[in-house]
Amino acid sequence: RSRSKSKRISGFDMAPPASAMLAGAAAAAAAGQIPGTTTM
Amino acid sequence: CSRLHNRPTISPTLLLSNMYQRPDMITPGVDAQGQPIDPHKIQEHFEDFYEDIFEELCKFGEIESLNVCDNLADHMIGNVYVQFKEEDHAAAALQALQGRFYNGRPIIADFSPVTDFREATCR
Repeated sequence: RSRSKSKRISGFDMAPPASAMLAGAAAAAAAGQIPGTTTM
Repeated sequence: CSRLHNRPTISPTLLLSNMYQRPDMITPGVDAQGQPIDPHKIQEHFEDFYEDIFEELCKFGEIESLNVCDNLADHMIGNVYVQFKEEDHAAAALQALQGRFYNGRPIIADFSPVTDFREATCR
């Protein structure tokens, strides 16, 4: 691939919006898994 | 399998649950807006993800193998298995990943009993 490596930002530490964060945390706590939501 | 497996207290292998999400996870070959996706884009998306994981985790130690479940079935969907050479490195990585996010989703990390992916079937 010709795409420059340094230009792409890693998805690590990309925080969700506050509302999604609460929902995600609740779901994670409840099931230990994240349901298949589309957040991309 | 849907059994709850024993989670070892220490292991060279980490499991990051449901971490990879295919762009066409709802319908194969089609994005969330119903537009067809070029298979090359999907491959590129996957490679970017793989690269992200690798770059982040190789900070903690030498990685023996990195497996991403790129499936569409519910079982093990998007699970990422990272096997380090040393248990200590896996432990350090696990600790470092706690409470962090990837693409806006929390990272669910745990030790996995899998040490040989050719033998990684449920027993």
